[in-house]
Amino acid sequence: MSTNSPPQNQGAESAQPAANVDQQGATATEEPVKQSSSPSVFVNSEPMREEQVQNAVKFLSHPRVKGSPVMYRRSFLEKKGLTKEEIDEAFRRVPDSAPTVQTGGVSQDGQVKSSSNIQQQAQPQALQPGLPASTGVNTSSATLSRSRFHWSHALIAIGVLAASGAGTAIVAKNSILPRLKSWIRKVVVEDDEELKKVDRKPTLVEEAAQAAKSAAAAAADVAKASQDMLISKEEERKHFVEVVSLLDKQVQEMKSMTNALRRMEGQDLRITQTNTKQLLVNGNGKADYDLHSVRSTSPPVSYEPPSSLNPKSYMEIMNMVQRGEKPSNTRSWEVGQVQNSSTQVLQAQGSGEYLNSMAQDSTQSNGDGDDALPWWQKKNARIREIDNENEYNGNGSSYGAASYQPPPQRTWVPPQPPPIAMAEAAEAIRRPKPAAQKDQTSDTQSVGNSSDVSDEVTRIPRRSESEGVVEGGSTSSIPSSVEIQEDQELKQE
Amino acid sequence: MPVFKTPFNGYSVKFSPFYEDRLAVATSQNFGILGNGRLHVLSLSPNPSQPFTEIAAYDTADGIYDVSWSESHDSLLVAAVADGSVKLYDTALPPTSNPIRSLREHTREVHSADYNPLRRDSFLTSSWDDTVKLWTLDRPSSIRTFKEHSYCVYSAVWNPRHADVFASASGDCTLRVWDVREPSSTMVFPPHEFEVLTCDWNKYDDCIIATASVDKSIKVWDVRSFRVPIAVMNGHGYAVRKVRFSPHVRNLLVSCSYDMTVCVWDFMVEDALVSRYDHHTEFAVGVDMSVLVEGLMASTGWDELVYVWQHGTDPRAL
Repeated sequence: MSTNSPPQNQGAESAQPAANVDQQGATATEEPVKQSSSPSVFVNSEPMREEQVQNAVKFLSHPRVKGSPVMYRRSFLEKKGLTKEEIDEAFRRVPDSAPTVQTGGVSQDGQVKSSSNIQQQAQPQALQPGLPASTGVNTSSATLSRSRFHWSHALIAIGVLAASGAGTAIVAKNSILPRLKSWIRKVVVEDDEELKKVDRKPTLVEEAAQAAKSAAAAAADVAKASQDMLISKEEERKHFVEVVSLLDKQVQEMKSMTNALRRMEGQDLRITQTNTKQLLVNGNGKADYDLHSVRSTSPPVSYEPPSSLNPKSYMEIMNMVQRGEKPSNTRSWEVGQVQNSSTQVLQAQGSGEYLNSMAQDSTQSNGDGDDALPWWQKKNARIREIDNENEYNGNGSSYGAASYQPPPQRTWVPPQPPPIAMAEAAEAIRRPKPAAQKDQTSDTQSVGNSSDVSDEVTRIPRRSESEGVVEGGSTSSIPSSVEIQEDQELKQE
Repeated sequence: MPVFKTPFNGYSVKFSPFYEDRLAVATSQNFGILGNGRLHVLSLSPNPSQPFTEIAAYDTADGIYDVSWSESHDSLLVAAVADGSVKLYDTALPPTSNPIRSLREHTREVHSADYNPLRRDSFLTSSWDDTVKLWTLDRPSSIRTFKEHSYCVYSAVWNPRHADVFASASGDCTLRVWDVREPSSTMVFPPHEFEVLTCDWNKYDDCIIATASVDKSIKVWDVRSFRVPIAVMNGHGYAVRKVRFSPHVRNLLVSCSYDMTVCVWDFMVEDALVSRYDHHTEFAVGVDMSVLVEGLMASTGWDELVYVWQHGTDPRAL
């Protein structure tokens, strides 16, 4: 059935009233009859909606829309739910837009496709395929004949240009270049002399300036360091004072206890003393432990999955492909193309593995993540806290199997770093004064900070650690990691 | 219920229209991004220890996104390959002479293949180059190219009752109904606000079509009154990748989604979800219902597994 579209449309339109009745009445008895004669069921049988057509006309008349390709305009209107007839009508009404009904056409490979393209550009609407095809062929042959002349002309022109170029090159070599060279030499010599004179002066000035700057910077660093030292010393003193006060309190308690005991029984003081000594020791140990509790850990080694592992997740493969690597498990005989539009196809909103790998990637990409660091450590911190409490509850008998660093002696504080969270909590509860100090130091340091707020926000918990570290550092040997941390802090700021 | 482990990530599964125990699985390496592909032809056996036997496996240079059984020859398959070629395979021939034909016309990945169940001599392929192509087995080049979509055409499906009518679902958010006798599409409407990933005709009512989209919903339309859907089925957690109407029950359709589940719906009922299977541990991208065995369904996903089970039973049960 080679029916032309205009009669087809008429047939469809004549079926429209019947179809409308069908839509309202919902009787399907007429449908099978029509289906056997013409597939009007699969044609849009609605009348044209004038409102939609007018909206489309406004859309097409917009200057911005006129700059866009025709395909996009059609596609937009289709997305809005306009039917073909409405879209065609709108294109008809807006005169200068190129309305193209892109026909499939009876195509046999590329030739007729190109003719259909020419057809689209030339004439709107679907016409009988015969005429446009012939005109297309004619125009193509004409262009071909013209192009032949162009080729020969081009060849001649190239030859002439080449000859003239060669001639000028020879002339230049013989006469012009030597003159130029001598002139340039003169100029260069003059310039060098001038530059040497000029350079000497500015270099001296620059050197002096640089020296001054470096001296100033050094002085500033020295000043900062000395300030920090002073601060840390003050804090240590305060710690000392508090420790002493605590000890005094304990001593007083002991005294009162011993007095009470003496009064009550008047028995062996030694026994009671040993008991109280143990308590003291325990108490001290605990206090010391708390003091040294604020030390940051070294960041965990960031785990990156080795690229040779199978199986890989979707994100890993996408990353590899974008970097230009090929996944190792492919055999290539005809090298396949990278489907970089797979993301378009798969509006991926996550499988389990995909989401996990995404999370991994994001934490890794934060680079020894600020996010990864405290979270990981906080978890461990809690575990350690519980373990330590258990140990202490057990009266020091259990040298915690669960503890991560086996403490050799109870009284000596292990230098290993404990958790941040605990440190903050401990600080907040016990010491309001260092909090005030912290504010001062953080203020002074934040003035020096020119970087973003986010850095400051993430920095603040770290600063608290460093303060705490400094506080605790005095009572025992300071491990080097603390100082390194501090230095890093200073450098970063 | 039998489970088959494919070496690559599964993309599509189709039951054979000739043998009730045969199915084809299209797989791609590395999730179909870059790598090889393999087409498996499997046979179900009643032997519980070895539920699947692999009749044939064909390797390709690029991933295979879809497969379709021929309706004219019981051993012919059409594979939609990611490098833009369409490959024909014959399982009756030795593997050295396969593929019997490689048709290279699409300029982008071929996303779907569908064989005409009525005329039995032609098939459609749809591609990311915005076109749908019509082919026959005997010609080395396509008969027609349908180029009207403005984005990837994800699916082109023949109407089971009208031999010349088919529908195409595209990433430009429209569904087009075509008649091969017409020079251009006969209907176009936007079923969803987002990319339409799949469509399928109802096997009992020739004007009813289901579409599913990235917006996680499945909508059932009557093409005669396409302004308002007959039914809207929500319930998937992520984009719905494939939708298939049941060949045995008028109102039943099955869908698979990126939320790793396969759901069965009855669109005439208020509470449409009939059952949900979450046996996959990755995106479920391929699903099919057998024409020959009532209730038998198969699914595959990126977790490299192919499940075949009876509707109502647990796919992972042994």
